Amino acid sequence: MTQQTRIALRNAGSIDPLSIDDYIAAGGFQAFEKALKQKPGELVSELEASNIRGRGGGGFPTGMKVKFTDKADRPADGMKYVVCNADEGEPGTYKDRVIMEQDPHLMIEGMLLAAYAIQAQKAYVYIRGEYADSIRKVEQALKNCYNKGYLGKNIRSSDFSLDIEIRLGAGSYLCGEELTLLESLEGKRGYPRIKPPFPANVGVFNKPTLINNVETFALMPWIISEGSQAFTAMGTEKSPGTKIFTISGDVEKPGYYEVVMGTTLRELIELAGGMKGGSAFHAAILGGAAGSFVNESVLDTPMGFDTLKEVGATLGSGAVMVMDSQRSLYDMMASILDFFAHESCGKCVPCRVGTTMLVKMWEEVKRKKNGNRTVMLEKMEEEADYMQKTSLCPLGGSPIIPIRSAVQYFKNEF
Amino acid sequence: MNKLVDLTIDGKKIQARQGDNLLQVALDHGIQIPYLCYHRKLSPTGACRMCVVRLKDQKGLVMSCTVEVQEGMEVTAFDEELEEARKRTLEYLLAEHNDHHDNTYYDEFLYWVQHYNLDRRDKRSYPNIYKQMRYPVDDSSPILSYDGTKCIKCFRCIKACDEVQGKNVLSFSQRGLASYIVAGIDKWRDSECDGCGECVQLCPTGALVDKPHRDEINLDKVEKMVRTTCPYCGVGCQILLYVQDGKIVRSDGVEGVAPNDGRLCVKGRYGYDYVQSEDRLTQPLVKKNGEFVESSWDEALDLIATRFNEIKQKYGSQALGGYGSAKCTNEDNYIFQKFIRVVFGNNNLDYCTRLCHASTVTAMLKSLGSGAGSNSIEDFARADCLLITGNNMIETHPVTATFVKNGQYKGNRIIVCDPRWTKMVKYADIWLQPRVGTDVALLNGMIRQIIKEDMIDQTFIEEKVEGGMESFETLKKLVEPYTPEETERITGVPGEKFIEAARIYARASRAMIATGMGLSQQQVGTNMVFSLINMMLITGQIAKEGAGIDPPRGQNNVQGVTDIGVSPINYPGYIPVADEENRRKLAKLWNVPFESMPAEPGHTTVELMNAAYDGEIKGMFIMGENPMMTDPNLNHTEESLKKLDFLVVQDIFHTETTPFADVILPAASYAEKEGTFVNSDRRVLRVRKAVEKPGGAEEDWKIILRMAEKMGYDIGSYNNAKEIFEEIREATPIMGGVTYQRIEHEGLQWPCPTTDHPGTPTLFLEKFSTSHGQGILNPVDYQPQTEPASEEYPFVLNTGRILYQYHTSTMSRRNKSLNDFANEAYVLMNPADLKKNGLRNGDRVKLSNKRGELETVIRESDGVTEGELFMPFHFSEGMVNKLTRSELDPYSKIPPYKYSACKVEKV
Repeated sequence: MTQQTRIALRNAGSIDPLSIDDYIAAGGFQAFEKALKQKPGELVSELEASNIRGRGGGGFPTGMKVKFTDKADRPADGMKYVVCNADEGEPGTYKDRVIMEQDPHLMIEGMLLAAYAIQAQKAYVYIRGEYADSIRKVEQALKNCYNKGYLGKNIRSSDFSLDIEIRLGAGSYLCGEELTLLESLEGKRGYPRIKPPFPANVGVFNKPTLINNVETFALMPWIISEGSQAFTAMGTEKSPGTKIFTISGDVEKPGYYEVVMGTTLRELIELAGGMKGGSAFHAAILGGAAGSFVNESVLDTPMGFDTLKEVGATLGSGAVMVMDSQRSLYDMMASILDFFAHESCGKCVPCRVGTTMLVKMWEEVKRKKNGNRTVMLEKMEEEADYMQKTSLCPLGGSPIIPIRSAVQYFKNEF
Repeated sequence: MNKLVDLTIDGKKIQARQGDNLLQVALDHGIQIPYLCYHRKLSPTGACRMCVVRLKDQKGLVMSCTVEVQEGMEVTAFDEELEEARKRTLEYLLAEHNDHHDNTYYDEFLYWVQHYNLDRRDKRSYPNIYKQMRYPVDDSSPILSYDGTKCIKCFRCIKACDEVQGKNVLSFSQRGLASYIVAGIDKWRDSECDGCGECVQLCPTGALVDKPHRDEINLDKVEKMVRTTCPYCGVGCQILLYVQDGKIVRSDGVEGVAPNDGRLCVKGRYGYDYVQSEDRLTQPLVKKNGEFVESSWDEALDLIATRFNEIKQKYGSQALGGYGSAKCTNEDNYIFQKFIRVVFGNNNLDYCTRLCHASTVTAMLKSLGSGAGSNSIEDFARADCLLITGNNMIETHPVTATFVKNGQYKGNRIIVCDPRWTKMVKYADIWLQPRVGTDVALLNGMIRQIIKEDMIDQTFIEEKVEGGMESFETLKKLVEPYTPEETERITGVPGEKFIEAARIYARASRAMIATGMGLSQQQVGTNMVFSLINMMLITGQIAKEGAGIDPPRGQNNVQGVTDIGVSPINYPGYIPVADEENRRKLAKLWNVPFESMPAEPGHTTVELMNAAYDGEIKGMFIMGENPMMTDPNLNHTEESLKKLDFLVVQDIFHTETTPFADVILPAASYAEKEGTFVNSDRRVLRVRKAVEKPGGAEEDWKIILRMAEKMGYDIGSYNNAKEIFEEIREATPIMGGVTYQRIEHEGLQWPCPTTDHPGTPTLFLEKFSTSHGQGILNPVDYQPQTEPASEEYPFVLNTGRILYQYHTSTMSRRNKSLNDFANEAYVLMNPADLKKNGLRNGDRVKLSNKRGELETVIRESDGVTEGELFMPFHFSEGMVNKLTRSELDPYSKIPPYKYSACKVEKV
């Protein structure tokens, strides 16, 4: 029976999240103390060697991001920034919330390590406005850190200083996309920036910025104390380490589970208590709204970024929505398409119009009782493909993922 | 400059600079990549996705508007997939767009729709959903309409307002497909939109359209589009007038030319209707039995000739005088000054600069040898530090202010010095708020600090200042008593503030000064500008690119009139009347005997009026000037005009002055003649005829020539304005190299002495224009007002302008568009003063002092200091000049409009 391997969640549930003393007693800040004795460049190398992929959904190699930001020319005022993306907007995902509510100091320690590596002086945590409890807990944790000397000037009598501030989101999925997040953080409307330039060179207030997901930061202390090799020893070759999967739907025990990368869907469902009421597995959506429909043929595929991509699926944020045969896949798809139309910022034409066009086309599918729905689905694939090629940001490039996977795995179902 | 690199687009070899915008490079080379949201003046947006291209070695499609050119780039701009993508993008746009078109606007979107054969609805693939979206239509603005059903959400208007005009009024409301543009938070009318129309000009569809004449205008029926120069302020914006049915129906900014690059303000864009107002004077009017009666040109001019000649006979030529017009062309004014000098036989001519920048010009002439701005409009965006003193630039020189804001956005430091709050304060790093009239003390305090902290440029002083370090020591000694505490005591400005300002100014690598009426229209105006120049000279912030002193000029051609010599002390080209050699040359050019060329300086503007009051001046010829609104101490002015034996007023409308005339002559407006203006940065600009003169109105120069002829003098015969300009070139060496042909497309900045000279953007690069080529320090002390606020008259009345009206508003108040924005007189008072005097916002009050009184409405404002009031002078129902005084500055002879003591009583 598969076990959890709790690294990011190692303290979750067993310590008082608001007590920094509890955190320290559980081994907290040891990684950071160790890092302070090293040169920042060594941390950069270690993170690179760990091969850790971003845990927010994009899966971009974090080490590369750290390296680029470190190498970016320091501007005239010397500022570099770290931003923690705690917007957690991907439907079906609730892992970052767990970290913030149950072990906020861990996230902060990760940010400290990253800031030290690139010698940043200021950091922000961008938390989605709806997460009232997370906001409260992170606020307290930051206060604790300042009081204990883990934030502010000359941290632990070193030359390193860091300030962390919270900024809040206000109901926009797109503000979880890194370029849009930066705009929102600066107080502007959430429209994505053009890239290049990338945040590593031009980020918050146009300064070099390292921006990562909560879970990514939460893994960093372990990587630094146990070493990158210990991290790469777990998981798959291209997706090392552990991942928190958030399972919802027709399973006995929906919830969050941290397992090594490469765990299969079948194993994960088993960990979650198996299908509810012993029903038969019919479908799952992996990765959230920008996620892929998969059928039973994927049950034994190791879950990693590249291994899933090979079969036309996505790991994404680690959201897993399990469905038995009672569920309407049509409704699921409609819900996803509605979501994108609602969340489109409206800046670029393909996504602004296309997302609504897809909703309308899918509605027509329902009306056309005797029409050829598969043809409509394939037409939608064509629109979504055009959107993916020409949109400004990943949101426009998202509808193709569920649509294409639906064609691949459930063509005749609709 | 970045290096040149080679690239290919669809196989075509192209050279461009590294980092250039790929789309712009393609367009410049005739490769018509489609685009909608991109605009040359704006930062790239990447919203429309039409400019999609493919780059070799790069996956996927990229938007060429967001790509920087690199060496060896291989671009595919047109292939099947790209064209398919563009077509689909247009189809998507058509699905959310109301494509009803009424030919009142240029539609870039429609152009591409037609190009891709999508103009017929049956050729489109997607259902149209714009009606379901219920996009709003906002018709509330006085000057534009926003139609959300036609909006393609391209961001151009938002960026036009933010990046070009620096106003930040527009934004999107809602999200995604439901997005539409709002001004402020909701209705356009209630927002801070000031009607500059930049958004309208840049809008690629019919979403934003000019409102005036929209029910008449039809772009297919427009007969011509005439490029000319704006008749309002001295920025000299190039405008394009659309003429339909012989009427002006629209005014656009001309893109890509100096000085404005397509930018306009609300007056330049929507203030043209006065030209075709029914109030236009169309026939000469002669006063008979106290009534004005229409007469023929011959009758009127015969009468004028008789009367003027009579006066000359009886009292001598010194009994005559005239006002030239800064609203008229150089050609008009050149003939005017010739007329006064040859026909009247004296130098009793002057014009409105005497009331405006006289102190600035006088001080600059004395210290630097030239009274015109030393830099160009682009420098307002380039100077690392801009010190703006006594100049409400955003309202009085709006387009120049947009360049200031562009620079501020890039990090340039702005220091504003003004006793009252103006919009520029929002963009300023520091706002110095001295008490009215105390600027000399403030500047001396700053100079003292600059010397104390050794922020002077000693090399500059030694090489470029007359008397070198010795002169400097004199200045140093004079400013010694102006300690921070003493300066603060006099001015009310905290020491740390002006010390910080002094540091920013002195240490900037390039600092520029923009100085306005706040310093000039003072009893010690010349001294104030001397202090400013002293500070500039000891810090070396002049005689290099991007640094200097640039007084924004108020009238469209006040610079030209100054250059052309409508002056009691200078002939054309700033050559003093006493200069014998010049008089000889001019006598030859004008074909008159040398002995008849007047050599004695004449009366200045206010002095002329005083001389009339004293009975010295018996006859006057006023061209395009309204002294009954603009002269100080209006009751006295009225008496002066009444005492004249004979007064001729030449104008386009009845004014507050015309009732006092014996003969009124109808003149042509700027839109009805050819000619030239000179703007604030010494640019000679073309003025072109767009519409016909109304009724019997004539060009000013033609009228004057006939007047001279009737009086028995030949002051030349010219077939057209161009021939006059040819003579101007000979009489005015600084414009010797300017020709109509050379300025056909873009103006030339004088000095431009020869036809192969390119013009001069920055003055003094080699030396100053003084006799020794060096700048001169003029240390001056602070002097308190001769009429300070007293117990009887406890308030200090400050006067000035607002954006929407123009000077005596004879032109501006005849435009519905401008009147819809602001059309009421008022006086601003500090809330504490309101309370102290038992007054409320909106109360009707009487302002009075020993010179006169007026009634108006109070508006509460914490932008004015306690004890100070501000009132705009545009409105004849609230003539502020009844209260202003004529104690002139001893050097510049300017009246102190900015400071009069008065009392306020509730009515």
